[in-house]
Amino acid sequence: MAEKFLFILLPYLSAAVFLIGVLYRFWVWGRTPVPLRIVTTPAPRTRGGVIWRLIGDALWFPSLFKGDRFLWAAGLAFHILLWLVLLRHLRYFLYPVPGWVEGIQTLGLYAGYLIPIPLALLFARRLADEKVLYVSILGDYFSLFLLLAITLSGTLLRVFFRTYLVEVKAYALSLVHLQPVIPQVHWLFELHFFLVMLLLIYFPFSNLMHSGGLFWSPTRNQRANFETRFVNPWDFPVAYNPRNLWPPEKYHQALAESKEGKKE
Amino acid sequence: MRAPFPIPALRVGASQHQRCHPAKQKDMVKVNLPPERAKDWKEAMLKKMAEVLDKYRSVRLFMDICVKCGACADKCQFFLGTGDPKNMPMARADLFRKVYKRYFTLGGKIWGRANGAEELTESVLQDWYTYFYQCSECRRCSVFCPYGIDTAEITMAAREVMAAAGIATKYVTEVVAKVYDTGNNLGIWPPAWKDNCSFLEEDLKDTEGLDLKFPVDEVGAEVLLVPPSADNFVNTNTMIGYAKMFHAAGISWTTSTYCNEGGNFGLFLDYANLKKVNNRILEAARDLKVKKIYWGE
Repeated sequence: MAEKFLFILLPYLSAAVFLIGVLYRFWVWGRTPVPLRIVTTPAPRTRGGVIWRLIGDALWFPSLFKGDRFLWAAGLAFHILLWLVLLRHLRYFLYPVPGWVEGIQTLGLYAGYLIPIPLALLFARRLADEKVLYVSILGDYFSLFLLLAITLSGTLLRVFFRTYLVEVKAYALSLVHLQPVIPQVHWLFELHFFLVMLLLIYFPFSNLMHSGGLFWSPTRNQRANFETRFVNPWDFPVAYNPRNLWPPEKYHQALAESKEGKKE
Repeated sequence: MRAPFPIPALRVGASQHQRCHPAKQKDMVKVNLPPERAKDWKEAMLKKMAEVLDKYRSVRLFMDICVKCGACADKCQFFLGTGDPKNMPMARADLFRKVYKRYFTLGGKIWGRANGAEELTESVLQDWYTYFYQCSECRRCSVFCPYGIDTAEITMAAREVMAAAGIATKYVTEVVAKVYDTGNNLGIWPPAWKDNCSFLEEDLKDTEGLDLKFPVDEVGAEVLLVPPSADNFVNTNTMIGYAKMFHAAGISWTTSTYCNEGGNFGLFLDYANLKKVNNRILEAARDLKVKKIYWGE
């Protein structure tokens, strides 16, 4: 029963929650207007420049490089290794396996061995830096804990508790073809798989949404085309007051009033 | 990377007692806000919060995606100066975020405090009033944030939310009210403005022997000059410089008693006042039928 839930129901449930959740977040951000031009300068003046800026921000975190080299190094190492590991896992879901996926297998393998290191560093930093510790809440630790547990269990599966891969691949393909078959695997694989499903479900509700959120950020995706007019979609007219200049009578009256006030 | 100045150790509550004076009723009326804190301030604030979240993508997005990496923490001048942890940009935004989580997200409603959600209580409001007025909206944090999270946007949203419930500071509301009364932040009344301009004319004639005009409210001039704060009565050399420059270029110009200062304190209050203060520059330009606006600040 538990296996049926874990291997047949949960994957589709978490995939649905992940997809719908992420798309819902994008929809909410997308429908919310941007009333003012708030781009962080120096900023590109063209759309092409904005695309380059966003790609740069997503790939090598220049803002962190400017401010905090340790965080930059640990964060960048983690994200690059994560990409390699994710791409390596494509081999379970694709048949036949494309050449480039085969090509990065070794690289992805070492990435998998290394990935707990930057994660542990980030975890340690969160505890060691009193400034970050002060603002950290349960959710922040939970994301890190999940990722650590997933990567560690994955490494253990590769090194010590080697699972029968043909079984795993058959299961992964059966998932892809919507005819899931319960595999006979080590319990550690079950744990690894369960944690990944948990991460997928947790993802859209958490600040892990920073991954897609960056591209919606008005301070980063706007242009510095200050010569064109920026229109606020919900702008409203303010009362036009054709002549608010002070006639002398009004001034003298105000002056008299303020003098009276001082006498009190 | 070594910081060029020492980063202070956390001193919880260090600047808790440095608070702005509350707004006066007469100013609140002039800036079109509730004269005093509304009896149902909580409902009023939550209603405005929902509105702000639907009007500013920045606010909603920044609420959702901050990972508390702390890259912004030691970039804020207010944190560097006080060491108060609530002056770290991510912690300042958290003051807003915890209320957002409690009332506007599923996770916050279910997990509550464990997920960092908190009811909008009197003490939360006091924190808002204290720390959202200890942000100068300089946007330095947004430069260092990997997602460009701009705490100034959140500060502005929080001030707008508080203002809707009749909570604002004396300094800001007084200045905006003065703009509506006198045309400038400093409260220089139109007769005083005219007098000051003719004083500059005389001064220039006495010292340099130049016969230049400092026109006020001249309909049909080519340029409306909106000088930055204080050019007319503190940095008078700058004001004299304008007159010389316009004279040398052969451009007819004027200032307006309706609008003779470029600074906009509406930025520190809410969108409606921000717009109204700026809009009066346009109104003055239309009134005086000028072709161009030269606008300082």
